[in-house]
Amino acid sequence: MEKHDVVCPYCGAGCKFNLLVQDGRVVGTEPLKGVTNDGELCLKGMSGYDFINDTKILTPRLLHPMIRRHKGDPLERVSWDEALDFTAKRMQAIIDAYGPDAIMTTGSSRGGGNEVNYVMQKFTRACIGTNSVDNCART
Amino acid sequence: MCSIPGMENAGCVFLFGYNPSASHPIVARRIVRAKEKGAKIIVADPRHIETARIADLYLPIKNGCNIAFLNALANCIVNDGYADKDFIEAHTNGYEQWWETIKKYTPESVQDITGISPADMHRAAEMYATAEPSAIIGYGMGVCQQRQNLKTVHTLAAVACVAGQIGKPNSGLAPVRGQNNVQGSCDMGCLPNMFPGYQKVTDPAMREKFAKAWGVPVEKLSDHEGYKLTDMVHLANEGTLHCFYNYGEDPVQTEPDSQGTIEALKKLDLFICEDIFMTQTTMYADVILPGTSWGEHEGVFTASDRTFQHFNAAVPPKGECRHDWQIISDLSTRMGYPMHYDNTKQIWDEMRQLCPNFYGATYEKMEGTGHCEWPIPTLEHQGTADLFPGGHFNKPDGRAVLIAHDWEHPTEMPDEEYPLVLCTVREVGHYSCRSMTGNCKALSLLADEPGYVHMNPADARARGIRDGEIVRIWSRRGSVYSRADVSDRINKGAVYMTYQWWIGRCNSLTLHAVDDVSHTPEDKFSACQMERVADQQWAERHVAQEYADLKARLAKEASAQDVEPAVAFSASQEPDRILV
Repeated sequence: MEKHDVVCPYCGAGCKFNLLVQDGRVVGTEPLKGVTNDGELCLKGMSGYDFINDTKILTPRLLHPMIRRHKGDPLERVSWDEALDFTAKRMQAIIDAYGPDAIMTTGSSRGGGNEVNYVMQKFTRACIGTNSVDNCART
Repeated sequence: MCSIPGMENAGCVFLFGYNPSASHPIVARRIVRAKEKGAKIIVADPRHIETARIADLYLPIKNGCNIAFLNALANCIVNDGYADKDFIEAHTNGYEQWWETIKKYTPESVQDITGISPADMHRAAEMYATAEPSAIIGYGMGVCQQRQNLKTVHTLAAVACVAGQIGKPNSGLAPVRGQNNVQGSCDMGCLPNMFPGYQKVTDPAMREKFAKAWGVPVEKLSDHEGYKLTDMVHLANEGTLHCFYNYGEDPVQTEPDSQGTIEALKKLDLFICEDIFMTQTTMYADVILPGTSWGEHEGVFTASDRTFQHFNAAVPPKGECRHDWQIISDLSTRMGYPMHYDNTKQIWDEMRQLCPNFYGATYEKMEGTGHCEWPIPTLEHQGTADLFPGGHFNKPDGRAVLIAHDWEHPTEMPDEEYPLVLCTVREVGHYSCRSMTGNCKALSLLADEPGYVHMNPADARARGIRDGEIVRIWSRRGSVYSRADVSDRINKGAVYMTYQWWIGRCNSLTLHAVDDVSHTPEDKFSACQMERVADQQWAERHVAQEYADLKARLAKEASAQDVEPAVAFSASQEPDRILV
């Protein structure tokens, strides 16, 4: 069994534990002596890992890029190239027509991590040209 | 401003609008340990929360009274002779003006608003202000999600200063963060007024610095603050906002007034969702970009107490999922601003160079259970557990400014038609919009739509409601069904609902009112009414059907991803071929 150390993705306490992996699937957790949790975990930290495995108990994981070619069209799976070209073209058209402040982006205060948040705000500021990037700290 | 481990070494822990056993069980355990070590525990909360059971003093405050309560507490600290005159003299400004407001707030004068007897107010002042070696005020959303939220934080800070319970180890304020990386997304500059490291976007020197580092002309970086997330709805409605790129959030479930949010999303020219799940928000997206999940990538989170910690990937990405930083970099490149990184460490190191307070937080220091609590300005630095050491504050003269405000009532007061206060809260087994915990086998056993509305026995009796029955709750925004949970730990005149239920969705009812500065919604206070559903059997069938329909709708939206592009292409070409 493999073990990989992680930080809990739920509350802001910052508990450290190992994810236990068997045959490419996460099968359990094991608390570590992190600075805040000191070898302890709560219910969510202990049992909140198997959503990664796409259990479809509540709602499915997203596994492929999808677009609606026109507002109201059904979703359509496309290649990454097509999804990103479509998005880039549409965003650029909005900047050209209304200016960069017509676009708002968000960071994520959940599983992504600080590096993604850094990249998102850099994209928003240096590429789009607006400071309208926020996160869910207000809710 | 203290660390989470440090909480157990304080002489007094005062919880104000914070229920740690539901929202941060591991912090709650630290408070139990503090109690075992002899700390006094004060809990001020309208509900008799878990920590109230071990409190030396429990203050059952009325909903929406925060500033009135704190002003009266400050009034007692001063009038009862517990003010730390030396600290006020040496480390603060504005005392005289502050006292002009506070002196009016005797505990007697606001007892109708706070619900707290003068005797208990005096006891609280003494217990908090005289605690040795230090006292900590832990506050959460009970402070932040109120009309006077920022003003309440000013008031709390002044209370700590006047009592001299700040600027020494294990003291001051402990503002807890709800989600695991709220602190981190703020640290990284996902704020409309701040570059990474809390460097102001309106400061020309900072714009210059970031423009140079990012290789763009300084004019490219906007010189004015951006819009806030809670402005999204009205900006979309008035036609100012045309594109919303939503990364990892589910505003339909978690922002106030769900129906208003949905209508606004539909008005956008382009709505992009980068997420790991099909959610009630993602289903309205024009573009869906599947990122990797926690467990499939590495990175750094910041805990509530400013502690950076590194986390690893455990399993490979599913399907075609890509790391979020790769998706965003690729998009940026296609839009004419090339971004390329080989790994997260490269990103982290670029960020460290630009943020003096984070510079010493290297990946190496965070290996295993290593951690870095910022400010950590140099490679040799060990990190900072307590802010404002020696009472030195972040002001040019190093002195804290004491600010007092008058109490104002919440925006939507109960009336004859809507006589109950609706307050949204947390619970231990599920998280936020529930897309993660609801997909975990063990935790899903705790999922029980339509969820619960917690109420006092008197309010239940007055409406003929019995524990466990389905009730209808409605406000000026909407109407939902939920299940009654009747308990005398709940105060009379208020009902409490948690965020995560999809059918009993509290945000279909909440008010989208925000304060002027922070734009945080007033999720802790709006007005509602409820009634027992006469036909309980029909109600049970109805909520079960609604839940099944909603899950089926999300699954159907997501099923588009099961059709490979080539197949979709030939299917769409079929009629043409027939014509040929």
